Amino acid sequence: MTVAVVLVALLGSAWLLAVIEAWLTTGRLRPVAPLLAGLSHLGRESLLPRKPDRLFFETAPVLLLVVAVLGAAVLPLAPGLVIADLATGALFVNTALAYVLVALIMAGWGPNGAYAMIGGWRFLGQLIAYAMLIVMPITAVAMRAESLLTTTIVGSQEGLWNIVYQPLGFVLFFIAAMALAFRAPFDLPTAAGELAGGVDAEYTGVRLAVLRLARLVLVVTLAAATTVFYLGGWHGPLLPPWAWSLIKTLAVAVSMLLAGRYLPRIREADLMRWCWTLGIPLALLNIFIVGLLILVVP
Amino acid sequence: MYAQAFFVAVFGLAAIGFGVAVFRTSSMVRSALALLFSQTAVGCMFLAMQTEFLGVLQIMMMATEMSIMTIFMVMFMMDPGGLGGMDMSHQKRFSLGAGAIAASVAIAVALLADWGPVTAEAPDAAMQTRALGIELLGRSMLIFETAGVTILTAMIAATAVAIPVHTLADNGDKEASE
Repeated sequence: MTVAVVLVALLGSAWLLAVIEAWLTTGRLRPVAPLLAGLSHLGRESLLPRKPDRLFFETAPVLLLVVAVLGAAVLPLAPGLVIADLATGALFVNTALAYVLVALIMAGWGPNGAYAMIGGWRFLGQLIAYAMLIVMPITAVAMRAESLLTTTIVGSQEGLWNIVYQPLGFVLFFIAAMALAFRAPFDLPTAAGELAGGVDAEYTGVRLAVLRLARLVLVVTLAAATTVFYLGGWHGPLLPPWAWSLIKTLAVAVSMLLAGRYLPRIREADLMRWCWTLGIPLALLNIFIVGLLILVVP
Repeated sequence: MYAQAFFVAVFGLAAIGFGVAVFRTSSMVRSALALLFSQTAVGCMFLAMQTEFLGVLQIMMMATEMSIMTIFMVMFMMDPGGLGGMDMSHQKRFSLGAGAIAASVAIAVALLADWGPVTAEAPDAAMQTRALGIELLGRSMLIFETAGVTILTAMIAATAVAIPVHTLADNGDKEASE
């Protein structure tokens, strides 16, 4: 039952996100458009490039979708409404999403196309930039909760949300999450204007539909993770807990879209330099500050 | 208990299967990712043995490590796509001998060593994480810190060696005057 509820919430949020994304881009609110676009992909020919690495080409979109869903499996929507409340939950989110990289390398190498391959390797460069900025802020979150259980992490924010307690960690995690979701301004692996779609370039038909769905679900999962780690999860007045989780998750996802619309794209080499020379020292500072707060403030 | 043993065996066989696949393919990316999934299967063995933290950590670490290794394999091999029919194995007779000896030693250790009594029930996953943390920051701290600093030193040294040396002779006076 819980699995079904979480899956419906995940797919529903992905659909809503697609509607809002189209609304922001075209200025027209068309709730059925994402469904029609998805269905139209199913009706199209699913082309196979010449001499592909068939195994990788077929596996990549499915792997991307599976890891995005697995990441969401440890994130609670409400007390008791979580697929698996693992003792290593906060680490597990990162574990599942580490395979986004594997999926994109497969999607880049599989089709035997130059644009796709460059896109795939670019994401590897991007990972070297953002990876530490996912893990180190989560460390500080776990320090405050004194647990890796995601439900305990939400519980630890009952009085004060982590976005207030450790704002530096939130900013770093938010930026890193956008890079992990390869959304603008970190969308160089797919770079529509330059690589003709990058890792998406050679995919058509049903495979492209799965890939696009997986990307949306990935954004929702990362927004849900941000909600659980920094925005107090299900906590909030008046409305039921699950409603707060959904509202916050959607708000984070939309803010990611908006940030992408108004920020210039960053080259992966520049991103790497900024992350290593500024991001990681700041993440260490965040851990230090949180450590001090835990020791000093009862 | 039997279900646990079954899954440990299944993931163990998967690890061996992917390990064999590493050498059965000529594509560097396939080879590296086969190694990745072999290590992931080892992580799943940890999970089947109720060591949650170690399992999750192993599965996470290998995804990024092996992916980064992929790009090095592609960069340094002359035929990364494996389209030239390159043979991944060499020194076959020596390798067979070395492999057989290593395997028999490993099996002998597994069978002959005194492993102590089998734990009837593994501690709670959260307690395991806690115990591991205390171990890492206590008795084993020196070992892990030494290993960590050694690896870091090796990484810095390797990077330093890989950066081409620009001497004044290479660049002429132009560079020196800037």
